[in-house]
Amino acid sequence: MANLAYIVVIAAGAYTYGILTLGPDTGNGGFQQYVLGYRLPFFVAVVAAAAVGAGVGVLIGVTGLKRIRQDYQAMVMLVISIMAATVIGAAPSFLGGEPGLSLIPNPFANLSPVTGDWAYVAMVAFACVVGYLVMRRFTSGPMGRALRAMRDDEHAAAAMGFSVIKMRLLTQAVGGAFGGVSGALLVAFIGGWSPGAWAYVETLALLTAVIVGGMGNDFGVSLGTFVIAVLLLQGVQFLPQIRSHTGLTEAIGWMTLGIMTIAFLWLRPQGVFRERRPRYGQPAVGNAAGGEVAEGHS
Amino acid sequence: MHLLVQSIGFGVAAGAVLALGAVGFTLQFGISNVLNISYGSLMSVGAFLGLFMLGLGLNIWLVMVIGGLAVGACSVVLNRGLITPLVRKGMAPFGLVIVTVSAGIVLEYVIVAVAGPATQTYGNRSGATLNFLGWTLTTAQVVIFAIAVVLMLGLHLLLTRTQLGRAMRATSANRTLARSCGIATSRISDIAWFMSGTFCGMAGIALAITIESFDFTLGSIFLIPMIAAAVLGGVGQPYGAMIGGLVVGIVSSVSSAYWDPAYQSVVAFGIIIVMLLVRPRGLFGSSTATRKLLA
Repeated sequence: MANLAYIVVIAAGAYTYGILTLGPDTGNGGFQQYVLGYRLPFFVAVVAAAAVGAGVGVLIGVTGLKRIRQDYQAMVMLVISIMAATVIGAAPSFLGGEPGLSLIPNPFANLSPVTGDWAYVAMVAFACVVGYLVMRRFTSGPMGRALRAMRDDEHAAAAMGFSVIKMRLLTQAVGGAFGGVSGALLVAFIGGWSPGAWAYVETLALLTAVIVGGMGNDFGVSLGTFVIAVLLLQGVQFLPQIRSHTGLTEAIGWMTLGIMTIAFLWLRPQGVFRERRPRYGQPAVGNAAGGEVAEGHS
Repeated sequence: MHLLVQSIGFGVAAGAVLALGAVGFTLQFGISNVLNISYGSLMSVGAFLGLFMLGLGLNIWLVMVIGGLAVGACSVVLNRGLITPLVRKGMAPFGLVIVTVSAGIVLEYVIVAVAGPATQTYGNRSGATLNFLGWTLTTAQVVIFAIAVVLMLGLHLLLTRTQLGRAMRATSANRTLARSCGIATSRISDIAWFMSGTFCGMAGIALAITIESFDFTLGSIFLIPMIAAAVLGGVGQPYGAMIGGLVVGIVSSVSSAYWDPAYQSVVAFGIIIVMLLVRPRGLFGSSTATRKLLA
């Protein structure tokens, strides 16, 4: 399913981490308001963020269960992500409202800035490797085969005895947990989070990463994310600044992103790295290329 | 009681703009069967074109017409240059949504690159205040309402009384059959995109007149209530979108009078979700539209 509301899951993880580590909102002079306000250790908060991410992912997944056209569903997802940001921005006492949360503690705050940053990089790299391995287990084992079957032909998968609904929600939960962790790791590093940080354009950045890397190829998606995040969104900062045009470099970044998405969908929809289909014995006679055409119909 | 009456008045005024936008959105969707998310960004393009032309010293209502036609032309270019080739390549509907989302973002940031990210204004264009039926409305609101009514009537006459309208309805109902009856469906599609873009640009300028300050995100924010109006009336149903626009306008205006205005767009969101779960074909959706929507 097309989840254009995935950014909501990341945001949920980020907020969870924020309110679980910031301490009570009366601290810091009480300039920000939010619920809960515990001072939990880093790893507990990250696990909680994963759990909340999974929960939100399932909630979003439930709206996707209704059998309507793909594009209609995509539109609903987009609406959900815009609305979630609006609602949270409108409720200042819930999660900080429009200004959002700030001063979220960094787990390596007691190290020197440079060492702390590198320690953080190392930890995130470790988390990425662990995440990649977990994802491999999830997509290559029997579960992965079932999921592929469900994606390619839902009715056939259901006829084979798989519970499509359960599997869809499970996928949402796993995806949500990953999103939650990524949100927590992001916010612990940058230290602040507000509705402006997860506008729906950010979802496009994620989608571009997936499309450029190659849908259905874990390695390709990881690489795609790296290219998008590092080269495009950060790289534009190194373009010469034109003083009369504020926001121009940012605009160039987003424009490139949009054009790249369209170009890839047009010219190379399978991405840089195409999905490698595991072979099970001999392909059926005359149906060797059957899997490739199945994607198009709705 | 006065509050209720007054907020309904505001709702009707807002609903007129919404209906303009929603009709354009739904007309294009009904005929080309492509969900165009870049519609919101096209609206912002219209508002900024309007700003540019006002800077040249043109009359505001003339600006609205020229801006509308210009956005209509942009919309045709978008269809011819991007959407139609991809549809011919057999891209799935979901892929097309991503393409229109991307195109929308590119358009938005083209505006930023050209005009900058700052908040803009047309200045105070509301004119004298008018009182009737217990409503207090500005001249601009009344004129926009009148323009919307005239356009809707014109669209109604076009769809029901002319050869072109009949061809459009036929294409919307069954494209393949329409083509085999000798209707040039790709030309009809172009016309639909043009009309949709024109409605879109005019709605963008009308919105910029009424809300007085805006930036490049104007259209994408307004896209939600517009989609709500279109979904409420049944996607692909121009008449449904007219009524949907008025209903969404009035409901969100009344709700913001009695509730925190910050939650105004939540109402639109609620309408979309409820309609989707309970009656995805919308209040006035025909069975043809239903067949299109249900997978």
